[in-house]
Amino acid sequence: MLSFGALSFAVPWLLLALAALPILWWLLRAVPPAPVRVAFPAIRLLFGLPQHEETPHRTPWWLLVMRLLLAALVILALAHPIIDPGRILRGNGPLVMVIDNGWTGGANWAERQDMASALIDEAARDNRTVYIATTAQSADRNEGTLRPLSPAEARDRVRSIAPQPWAVDYASVRAQIEALELSRPATAIWLSSGLDAPGDEGAGAVAGVGAQPLELALQRLGSLRYVHPARGDQPLVISATENAADGIRVRVGRVDADGTRSAALIVSDDDGRLLGREAFTFDDGVETADVLLSMPSELRNRIARVAIEDTRHAGAVMLFDESLRRRPVGIVSGDTAQLDQPLIGNAFYLNRALEPFAEVRNGSVEELLERRLAVMILSDIGTLTETEIERLESWIADGGVLVRFAGPNLADGSDRLLPVDLRRGGRVFGGVMSWDQPSKLAAFDETSPFAGLIPSDEIIVRRQVLAQPSPQLASKTWGRLEDGTPLVTGEKRDDGWLVLFHTTANAEWSSLAFSGLYVDMLRRLVALSQGVAADSIATRPLPPLSTLDGFGRMSEPPNTSRPLPAGVGEDVTPGPQTPPGFYGLAQSRRAVNLGPSLAPQLFDAHASGVETAEYGPTLQRELRVWFLVAAFGLLLADFIISLIFRGLTPRISRAAAATAICLALAGGLLGTGATPGWAQSSDRFALEATKDTRLGYILTGDTKIDETSRAGLAGLGQILSRRTSVVPGAPIGLDVERDELAFFPLIYWPMTERQAPLSDGARGRINSFLRNGGTILFDTRDQNLSGIGGVGPGTQTLRATVEGLDIPALLEIPAGHVLTKAFYLLHEFPGRWEGGRLFVQQPDERVNDGVSSVIIGANDFASAWAIDATGRPMFPVMPGSARQRELAFRFGVNLVMYALTGNYKADQVHVDEILERLGQ
Amino acid sequence: MAPTPEPATRRVAEEIAAAFPPLLVAADRVASTVAQGVHGRRRVGQGETFWQYRQFAFGDSPRDIDWRRSARSDRLFVRQTEWEAAQSVWLWPDLTASMRYSSSRNLPEKQARAAVLSLALASLLTRGGERIALLDKPDAPATGRAALDRVAMTVMHAMAQDPETYEVPPIPALPRYGTVALISDFLVEEETLLAFLRDMAARGVRGHLLQILDPSEAHLPFRGRTRFRGLEAEGELLVGRAESLHAGYMERLGSLQASLATFTQRAGWSYGVHTTDTAPEPALLSLFMAMTEARAGG
Repeated sequence: MLSFGALSFAVPWLLLALAALPILWWLLRAVPPAPVRVAFPAIRLLFGLPQHEETPHRTPWWLLVMRLLLAALVILALAHPIIDPGRILRGNGPLVMVIDNGWTGGANWAERQDMASALIDEAARDNRTVYIATTAQSADRNEGTLRPLSPAEARDRVRSIAPQPWAVDYASVRAQIEALELSRPATAIWLSSGLDAPGDEGAGAVAGVGAQPLELALQRLGSLRYVHPARGDQPLVISATENAADGIRVRVGRVDADGTRSAALIVSDDDGRLLGREAFTFDDGVETADVLLSMPSELRNRIARVAIEDTRHAGAVMLFDESLRRRPVGIVSGDTAQLDQPLIGNAFYLNRALEPFAEVRNGSVEELLERRLAVMILSDIGTLTETEIERLESWIADGGVLVRFAGPNLADGSDRLLPVDLRRGGRVFGGVMSWDQPSKLAAFDETSPFAGLIPSDEIIVRRQVLAQPSPQLASKTWGRLEDGTPLVTGEKRDDGWLVLFHTTANAEWSSLAFSGLYVDMLRRLVALSQGVAADSIATRPLPPLSTLDGFGRMSEPPNTSRPLPAGVGEDVTPGPQTPPGFYGLAQSRRAVNLGPSLAPQLFDAHASGVETAEYGPTLQRELRVWFLVAAFGLLLADFIISLIFRGLTPRISRAAAATAICLALAGGLLGTGATPGWAQSSDRFALEATKDTRLGYILTGDTKIDETSRAGLAGLGQILSRRTSVVPGAPIGLDVERDELAFFPLIYWPMTERQAPLSDGARGRINSFLRNGGTILFDTRDQNLSGIGGVGPGTQTLRATVEGLDIPALLEIPAGHVLTKAFYLLHEFPGRWEGGRLFVQQPDERVNDGVSSVIIGANDFASAWAIDATGRPMFPVMPGSARQRELAFRFGVNLVMYALTGNYKADQVHVDEILERLGQ
Repeated sequence: MAPTPEPATRRVAEEIAAAFPPLLVAADRVASTVAQGVHGRRRVGQGETFWQYRQFAFGDSPRDIDWRRSARSDRLFVRQTEWEAAQSVWLWPDLTASMRYSSSRNLPEKQARAAVLSLALASLLTRGGERIALLDKPDAPATGRAALDRVAMTVMHAMAQDPETYEVPPIPALPRYGTVALISDFLVEEETLLAFLRDMAARGVRGHLLQILDPSEAHLPFRGRTRFRGLEAEGELLVGRAESLHAGYMERLGSLQASLATFTQRAGWSYGVHTTDTAPEPALLSLFMAMTEARAGG
């Protein structure tokens, strides 16, 4: 090997070829550039012409230099150049490498691996034997044995080492090193984490456990070089988390206390979605930082993982299981009969309010107390049995929060499990109003747990239970009405709380249950609870669910991992068999975290003679590739210059330009090709249909009937504009297979024999139209054809058509139906024909405002309404009179009014009685 | 029984047939442009078609008096007919190797231009009723669309074949006062060419020369180190600086053109130069004008 300072050549004899460069220079100068070859018919005229310059055209000097440089680069590249700032290995003994692959490894693993590879490369050039030991215990015992490796094997070995998400075990490595018998003094290199590995009793307390003995053992082999990360690069560790009322407190620790250091916590949920980011700073001289993650309970409940930003090791990740999440809340309701009744039952409101952030359980006091419970809500429970009271009292003493809501039962009689004494019976506000107006809420006191919440003016309290005045009443009052009456009272009993709402949990006594304040107050109360966690002692072995790898990433548990044994408490120390991660079942899992078990300490008390260094950029760099790349670039440049000299570029560039233009054009065409023509027309249709109120009719495909429908609805529209405040636009014909129906309040559908069966799509559209408040008037137009009791052709078509539609139960229009009085008072509904029957949906006030979604008639209404351009009727009516046509129009007006306004005219059903009463 | 054409020949023939209409159409288009500008042989002469009445003048044959016309007035009128004497024209589009050249892919080959011009001329001539034939082919002169088609087919076929390499065509037995249209680049030995032309002139043939040149031949635009190669096996020439040849080349080309011009002037022939980067119509027009004027003069 030949070296020039940092640059050395592995195959130096090839550099002799550089001596040939002057010859190349001479050759290049002597040989002229290749001529341009030209076919030329008039060559006869050229023969014998005198040439003014006979000498060959010379290659320009700069091209010459470039070509020489190219040749030199190739020669240098073949000589295998290496840049090497300093050699590490001395002597010629074997290389013993100890690689720290514990939990800190993930933070700078690439550096460690690069350095290991560089060292092996160096060893390979000197043909040294390599020994590699890893400090983190592997689950696979055989992997860690120390044996001589060839450089190639060593490379494979280094590539296969990965950082492990648990602490290192220096003792076993030391044992291996001490057992090593080498014939020559070795160079030992320790690619370390820079940290000590204290035993259970603190740094280096147990003999032979810490880093010091291993260092000594390594130094005994020959020389030792201790490589460690820079002090500021030491990894941060999340050492503890605590679920506080105002958020989650996270304690982050660092190894050194020098200077300030900023970092951030990344909070994400199970799916890896970001929930929050909280930046924090270590103060100078302080080893820990406490970070408060304050976020709404809904978000807090979703937290599955808190990690330090841009840090890749298992200690920087804290996994959250259910224990920090939803708190169990039990609801006991006095109104069990109403439990499921929406908007009425107490439990309904409580469930709805609590579900987003708490785990809600319903049941009796007995049932609920069988499991761990953070909060119990007793809604309108009058008196509890003595056993219940005793159990509840001991539960409260242990930290439970009991919240009671008043109600008729409680007003009638209460037990002692209340924060204040209540006035009995008569003093409960009932039918006799003791204030003129229902009262509003006053602002909350600063000392109240509800401080900061702002009561809305819209909340009014109509009834409440009253507390007996007492000296402590004011201090126990957490919320009051504008007149000072306590609305919420509470008291602390031992570790727990007892809270009373002086009104109901439902909307019966107050509108509190409708407001967001209700939810906020409940949330504060749940936050008061101590955070009852799921049972922390595993009752049965928990199989690994998903575990962290050495880089702090979630992955499938390795084959070597074991279930968490039964009976293990909070303090599980992660190790090869139990890597950090989730254990148990997906629904009830248990998080095992590395951070709490770590107590990292710097290891900087080195023995004398130990050389220390920091991880840095790779020591050596092969330059061959770069030389070849440069040479190739020059070759390309030379090629292009030659082309230019021979005059070949214009054609090439033109062809290239043409190709590029073609491609661009093709791309452009493709890009703009997919014009959404249909979507455009559909938009236009929607715009047209909604600019005015429009009546629609179904296109039957029979032009004559379609024209009649159009003219009929147009005529009806004229009458409507003239007589009512409804001014409809021109009617629109609808293709039931294609057009959206939702824009039309009323659709007229004449039946023809040619009516095609509906497709599934059309059927779905019609069904949703009917369900969502549209009205269709089916007109069978066969009144003239159906005999008494017979069925006309239109009716038959109708039967076939409506198959598969959601047609509700129909009945013949009853007397006094809204349709008979929506605008005009009507008793019959003639069209072109007279006497046909009209069917409507059975009135049901709860659906669609009582408007019948389907109306079926037979009188050919559109023909009676149809007027031509001059305003004259297009068809005669049968039997025929001006009165019949007028009535037909009146029916049309009523129909449109009915479809547009719904059932408000239904009240007129009672108008007779009302008038009668008013007359009294 | 005629031997079945070999597949290759037949394929060539089909290719020619496929290319035939476009070329003929191009020629026709060029010709019709010219035909609108020149009213051909609309002049008094021997023929059968009525041309005009003219007042009787001394020297007119009494046989020519149109008595019916004369009876309508006091004067005598002579009935004149249109000149209809058809002449034979031999065309020679040069299709040798040196004509298969264009200096740029945007320019047509010289032979393509020669073919278009020849066929356009043939089209014009057949419209006027002249008889046409190809100089280097044995077919007798004929007129009409069929003759045009046959000439076109022959030209096409020759273009598709390997090029012939003769310098000047053999001179067939031409009648006196025949007309010859020679369309070529005339880039052959000057002596050979002049001998050929003199020979033709000596037979009383009237000739019209149109020299077709590529722009690169007209201007010699090459620069730098260049290796020239002839198309008719003339050999190669390596030149260090092509631009140094420019002056000498232009001089030689000028002298060739001058000697052609001198010769044609003396012989009463016509001579024109056409470069392929210009439109063919003006060249055709001047050639056709020269032919009709020459005939009118004779």
